[in-house]
Amino acid sequence: MTDRVKKLLAILQERKYRARRTHTKMDITDIAADKDQYMQIALLMETMLQAQKPWLVENDLFGFNRSEAEFPDIRLEDGTYLSAQRSKGNTCIDYEGVMAKGMDALLEDVRMHRQSAEGEQAQFYDAVILSIEAALDMADRYRAYAKEQGAQALYEALCQVPHNPPKNFHQACVFQKFLIFTLRCNRSEHMGIGRFDQYMLPYYLADKAAGKSDEALLEILEAYFISINMDTDIYDGQQQGDNGQSLVLGGYDKYGNDMYNGLSQLCMEASMELQLIDPKINLRVNKTTPVERLEYATRMTKLGLGFPQYCNDDVVVPGLIALGYSEEDAYNYAVAACWEFIIPGKGLDMVNIHSMKFPLELERALKEDLLNCDSFAAFMTCVKQKVYEACQAIIKRCNERSFAVSPYLSVLIQDCIGRGKDVYRGGAIYNNFGVHGVGIATAANSLMAVKQLVFDEKFCTAQELLQALEDNFEGHEVLRNRMLSCPQMGNNDDQVDDLAWELMDCFSENIHGKPNNKGGVFRAGTGTAQGMVYTAEKVGATPDGRKARDFFGSNFSPSLHSKVAGPLSCIQSFTKYDLKKAINGGPLTLEIHDTVFRHEGGIQKVAALVRAFIQLGGHQLQLNAVNRERLLDAQKNPQNYPNLIVRVWGWSGYFVELDQQFQDHIIRRTEFSV
Amino acid sequence: MQYGLVFAVEEFSTFDGPGIRTTVFLQGCPLRCQWCHNPEGQPFVNFVLRSPNGCIGCGNCEKYADHKNGKTIYTQESIDHCPNHLLRWDSVEYTPRSLVQKLEKNFPILNPDGGVTFSGGEPLAHPEFLLACLRLLRGKTDRALQTSGYASAEVFRRVLKEVDRVLFDIKLMDDDTHIKYTGVSNRRILKNFTILKESGIPFVVRTPLIPGVTDTKKNLSAIADFLNENGVDYIELLAYNPMAGAKYPLAGKEYAPTFDEKAPVNFGLEIFAEKGIAAKVI
Repeated sequence: MTDRVKKLLAILQERKYRARRTHTKMDITDIAADKDQYMQIALLMETMLQAQKPWLVENDLFGFNRSEAEFPDIRLEDGTYLSAQRSKGNTCIDYEGVMAKGMDALLEDVRMHRQSAEGEQAQFYDAVILSIEAALDMADRYRAYAKEQGAQALYEALCQVPHNPPKNFHQACVFQKFLIFTLRCNRSEHMGIGRFDQYMLPYYLADKAAGKSDEALLEILEAYFISINMDTDIYDGQQQGDNGQSLVLGGYDKYGNDMYNGLSQLCMEASMELQLIDPKINLRVNKTTPVERLEYATRMTKLGLGFPQYCNDDVVVPGLIALGYSEEDAYNYAVAACWEFIIPGKGLDMVNIHSMKFPLELERALKEDLLNCDSFAAFMTCVKQKVYEACQAIIKRCNERSFAVSPYLSVLIQDCIGRGKDVYRGGAIYNNFGVHGVGIATAANSLMAVKQLVFDEKFCTAQELLQALEDNFEGHEVLRNRMLSCPQMGNNDDQVDDLAWELMDCFSENIHGKPNNKGGVFRAGTGTAQGMVYTAEKVGATPDGRKARDFFGSNFSPSLHSKVAGPLSCIQSFTKYDLKKAINGGPLTLEIHDTVFRHEGGIQKVAALVRAFIQLGGHQLQLNAVNRERLLDAQKNPQNYPNLIVRVWGWSGYFVELDQQFQDHIIRRTEFSV
Repeated sequence: MQYGLVFAVEEFSTFDGPGIRTTVFLQGCPLRCQWCHNPEGQPFVNFVLRSPNGCIGCGNCEKYADHKNGKTIYTQESIDHCPNHLLRWDSVEYTPRSLVQKLEKNFPILNPDGGVTFSGGEPLAHPEFLLACLRLLRGKTDRALQTSGYASAEVFRRVLKEVDRVLFDIKLMDDDTHIKYTGVSNRRILKNFTILKESGIPFVVRTPLIPGVTDTKKNLSAIADFLNENGVDYIELLAYNPMAGAKYPLAGKEYAPTFDEKAPVNFGLEIFAEKGIAAKVI
C-alpha cells in the first residue's frame, strides 16, 4: 500500500469527513407542478445535483463526493411523495458502452431521436436531455473546482471524461465514479458494478502498453475502491452496507476461455489489502477453475469480509439461456446488488420484486388443512396448493405494480433511447421479475416433522401439534424436543431434502418462466434478503421446533437451530436440486471458524470444498470466516470494533452499524460453525 | 452384531491428517489427560450431556433424572422435558456397517488425499469395532488412526495392518510425570511406537504443548532425543488450547488443571532445530 492510499484509507476510516455534509429538506412541488412525470423526475435529479458542492479530500483522484445527503421530493395530490413510487434499481448499467461513447455522443444521440419524436416520447427524450445536461454540469463544476484546488490529475482527467471516452485507466475510473455519483443523485440505488475486470481491461492494457507498472495501477485502483466507499453511509438500503456495489471477476466465454486477467488479479489484491465493505467481490468459477485461484480466493475469505461470493458458470449460464436470455448475453452475466444473476447494461430485471415465503404458506396449510388430511401425501398436496396460490397472487400483484420513470437510468441501459421508451416502461432488452424463495429449510424441516410425528410415528395428533404451535410450545416441551430431533436439511438426508425439492419444484413450475406484463418473465430464486429477519418475525411457531418470530437461515442455507453434520453433508444437501430452475440466485452460506484458515493446509482444504461445491452443481456459494467470541465482544464493546466487517445477506457491512436483530442473526449463524 | 459408541463424526476436520477428512471420535479413553478438551469422550458408556448455556433453571431435567448415591443421572425423560433443548445423548450407537454407510456418503467429495480418521477417546480401546470399520473401508478411502498409543502390543499390531497412516501422540518422556498428568504409564506407548516404526506405515508424531508440563526444555529435549534414536526427523506441535475447559460443564465435570493454563507456551523450536528435527506448529 502506498502512502497516498494509506492516507486516503485513514480519512475514510476516521469518518470525520461525513460531518461536511448538509441535510437540507428540499420540496420542489411548486416548480414541478405542471410538468409530466418524466420532467418531474429529471428536475428532481437536476435539483439534487445543483445542491452538491464539489469537495475533495486530500490526494483525491476521483472527486464526486456527496455534500448534500437529503433528496428533494415532490408531493403528489393524494399527499404521498413521488419518491415512494421509485424503484431501487438493483441492476447494472452499460458501463462498457457508455464509456466507449462518452456522454457528449450519448447526448447527441438523444437529441437526434428527439427531433422526430412527439407526445410521450418527446417528453421522455426531453427529460433524458435535461438529466444528461445536469450531470455534465456537475462534471464541469468538479473540473473547475479541481483546477482551483490544484488537483492536477483529477483536473486533467475531467478535461477528457465524462464528455469523451477515457484514454487510460484513471480516466475510466473517474468516468465510472461520475456515473455512480450522478445515478445515486437520480435515486438509482443498489447499482451493481458488473464485470469491472472486463470493461475496464482495455484502459488497463492501454496503460500497461504505455509502460505503467502494476504497482502504479494498483495505487489508482485502491484509491478508487476507497473513493466508492466514501458515501456508503448515506446510500439507501435496508441496513448500512446494503448498497449494491457488487463487482464480478472472471468468468468463461462460450468457447470455455477463462476471462480472469491481470486486472481481475489486481482487484483481488486491492480488496484484500484494503478490507473494506465495497466493492463486494464476486468470483465467477466453473469446474475448470484452477485450484490455485480458489486457494487465493480462500485467502480472501480468511479475512472475514464475506468475499468472494462464488457463482458457478456451469449452472448459471445454461439456467439463464433456458429462461430466454441469448447465449451471448448469458455468458456475459453479472450479479445485481446482492447475488441475482443479470445481464449488465441490457436489462431492468426487477430481481427482488417479491418473495415466496415458504414457511408462511406452510403455516396457512397447517391452519386450514391439516385436520382434514388423513395422510401426509394429502397434506403435501394442500401445501403445494398454497404455494401455487401464492405464485398466482405474486404474479398478479407484481403485474399491478407501477413504477415511476427514470430518464437518466434509461440512457445508461440498452436499448431505451433507440426504442424511445423509459427503462421503467419497457425500454430495456430484458424486463424480467425475480422472486426470492424464503425459508426453504424451515419449511422442509417442518414438513418432515409433521410427516414423522403426526403420520408415521403417530407421536402426536394433528390437533396436538397445532395446539403446541399456537401455544408457542409452552407446556409442550416433549413434543418440541421431538421436533428438533427430526431429520433436518443440511445433513444430506434424502428424506427431508426431497421434501424441500418438492416445494422448490412447485414454486419454480408455477412461476419460473411465466410471462409478466413488461414483456419479460418471472424468475424463481433461492435468496431471502431481509426476509430472514423481517418475514420470520411474521411467522408463528413452526413444526420444526422454531419458536414464533424466530429467524430463518440466511438465503439458501440450513435452519439456524439445525446442528448440521458438517460442510460436506451441507453442500450435498443444497446441490441436489436442479438449481437452473431457480436462477434468480441466492447463495448457500457456510460459516467456518477462522481457526480453520490458520495454516496452509486449512486454506487448501477450504478451496477443495469450494471445488466440490462447483462440481456438485451448486449455483452460488458464500463462505464466512467467523469468530463468535469476537462478535459477542463487538456487540458489548462496539467502540473497539469500528471497522469489523461481516456478511449480512447479499452484502457486507460494518457490524457495529447494524441493527441489533441483524447482529443477533449473524451471531446465531456462528453457533454451529465448523 | 458389534456396536460402537461414537461421540462425534466431524466432517471437514482440518487438523487430523491430509486432505478433506472426516474424523470419527470413539467414546471411551483409558487416559485422563489433565488438558483433555474432549472430556465427554472419556467414559466408556453413553450418558446425557447438559448445556448450561440458555438454562432457565426450570428444574425439569432434575425432576426426570435418576438419583443414585447422591449423583444425578439424566435420562431420556430429562432430554424430552427441557424447554430449551439443552440436553442430548453424548454418543450415537453404530454398527460398523451403519457407520461406514454414513461415511461413504461423503466419499465422492473427499479429494484424492483425504479420507477418514479414527480418533477418540482412544480408538485402540475399541479394537474389534475399530477393526471391523477399518476392514469395511479398506480400498475405499485413506484410513488414518489418531492415537495416544496406549494399547496392548497385540491390539496395536492388528490395527496397524488395517490403517494407511497414523498420528501418534508422544506427550511426556518421564514416566512418573506421564502417570501424574495422564493417569497411565508411557511404557506401552513407547513400546508401541517402536512397533509403529518397524511396521513401515507412514506416521506423524504429535506433541501437545502444555505450559509447564510437556513444553519444558527437559521434556522436549527428551522427545527430540527419542525421535533421533528412532530416526524420526519431523514432529508436529499443538499449542495448548485455551478453550480446553469449555466442554467440562456440558459433561457435568469440573476442569481443574494443576498447571498454570495462562502461562505462555514454550514452543521449543530451537531444541528440535538443534537436533535436526523439523518441527511444525499446527
